Amino acid sequence: MSGLLAKAMRDQRRGMIGWGVGVAAVVLMYAAFYPSIKESAADLQAYMENLPDAIRSIVAGEDYTSPVGYLESEFFNTMGALIVLIFTIGAGARSIAGEEESGTLDLLLSTPVRRRQVLATKATAIVGAAVALAVIAAVSITLFGPVFDLSVPLADIVAACVMLALLGLSFGGIAFAVGAATGRRAIADAAAGGLAVVTFIVHAIGPTVQWLRPLRPLSPFRWYQDPGLLTGGLHLRNVLVLTGIAVGSYVVAHVAFERRDLAS
Amino acid sequence: MTPVIEASALTKLYGSARGVEELTFDVPQGEVFGFLGPNGAGKTTTIRTMLDFIRPTSGTIRLFGMDPRVDGVRVHARVGYLPGELALYQRLTGEEYLRTFASLRDGVEWSYVEDISERLLLDMTRRIKDLSHGNKQKVGLVQAFMHRPDLLVLDEPTQGLDPLVQQTFYSLLDEERGRGLTVFLSSHVMPEVERVCDRVAIVREGRLVAVEDIGRLKAHALRRLELHFDTPAPADSFAGLPSVREIHTHGDALSLSVEGPVDAVIKQAARFTVVNIETKEPSLEDLFLTYFGDDGSAPESDAPGNEGQGAMP
Repeated sequence: MSGLLAKAMRDQRRGMIGWGVGVAAVVLMYAAFYPSIKESAADLQAYMENLPDAIRSIVAGEDYTSPVGYLESEFFNTMGALIVLIFTIGAGARSIAGEEESGTLDLLLSTPVRRRQVLATKATAIVGAAVALAVIAAVSITLFGPVFDLSVPLADIVAACVMLALLGLSFGGIAFAVGAATGRRAIADAAAGGLAVVTFIVHAIGPTVQWLRPLRPLSPFRWYQDPGLLTGGLHLRNVLVLTGIAVGSYVVAHVAFERRDLAS
Repeated sequence: MTPVIEASALTKLYGSARGVEELTFDVPQGEVFGFLGPNGAGKTTTIRTMLDFIRPTSGTIRLFGMDPRVDGVRVHARVGYLPGELALYQRLTGEEYLRTFASLRDGVEWSYVEDISERLLLDMTRRIKDLSHGNKQKVGLVQAFMHRPDLLVLDEPTQGLDPLVQQTFYSLLDEERGRGLTVFLSSHVMPEVERVCDRVAIVREGRLVAVEDIGRLKAHALRRLELHFDTPAPADSFAGLPSVREIHTHGDALSLSVEGPVDAVIKQAARFTVVNIETKEPSLEDLFLTYFGDDGSAPESDAPGNEGQGAMP
């Protein structure tokens, strides 16, 4: 069992390190831009106000030029979320479906391990990797932010990074479940990735599109972002919803994977 | 004593595609059981139900008296498996791969792993993606033998093994048989089965055609001989031999299908000047001819190679 977990962690390590470097680089880059953004705050604010509502609600929050607003708009709601989602969805789809498609799952399951143990260790490794990415994000913001006058209280950074990990794990969980149920990596990638894009758009332009508004609670991004990632600490209900999606996906993966025939 | 493998009306259907239907056979402990059939006959499907990768549509398969679906862990602990299409973790070295698998099993002696790796001339330090097909196959073999299983399940085991490695593989098999190892070996080539098996099941299109002792199988197997003489071929001298099934003449050459031992044919041939003898390994096709000829389930006129059978005794 420990060998299984070690192998699963090892599988995630490479990708995690790569995307972790990406996260740190993105944080550094956006932090470095911050001083010039702040300088032209008044101009930018005027520009933003002239944008159509729908565009503005995607690219920027209410208070774009404050440290909180800037970090939320440029990192947590866009690039940071994108990187974490690419990583977790890819890892989730690869876990079972990737290994099944490449054929290595056969020999693994010919040993005295249960299917559910394989699922559990692979899921654990993904959780570990997602947490590691979130930690890298938190550390990067804490280290690079103050250098460029981009200071946010540590507790808020931690809270936002917890939500970032949970967002990744909800969509990563969906990819994991679809992969475990179908054994098809492309389907798992497409299902989770497509869902992420659609629900992101529903949430982002929802406020300005009348008929989309009732759908917003269905978007995980609603439970990730609202009422603010870097303000007011962790919102219990948001934590529960995203955790629920991740755990629910795992249960689906378990039930489906135990029952079905493996592809040869 | 409970058979090591016990299939009872085992059926696996894939939608409209054929899997296997109503397979019933037992493999007692200590036997090397061949599962012989052309590609697509259901060999791999049968093996995958043994390992609980797929579940039977109906019927049962039991290993060591246990249902692999229920007691998968206990069954797998006693089984070594070499898949037909071997897929290994490409990024690991042979050693990393084998250590990972050793850690998933109880009671693997690493010294034994090293021992058989050396005998197979496997370089464990190289990454699997850099290994040749034959060397990957060696990693697969070591993995299958490492825990000294009670049952080895081998799907087309010697595909891609060079002859030297095949010999090592066969001697490993013999050693482990000394301990009471049971082997289930699927193959689509007769010589592989002939070399190691005690008993052979012949499968075709998802159904069991026959289960035979290897001795009986050999006794009935059709062998093809081609005799070249220095004079026009004396066909008549061979037509009367009871073991000869077919004769074709082309000039100085004589093609013969012989059932069972070729002894009488050789002795008859010795009366003439024989320039050359060519033999062909009995093919599966020939084997099926024997069986379908016997039980009449396929009309003889449909069987290929039966023209010119007027010379049959």
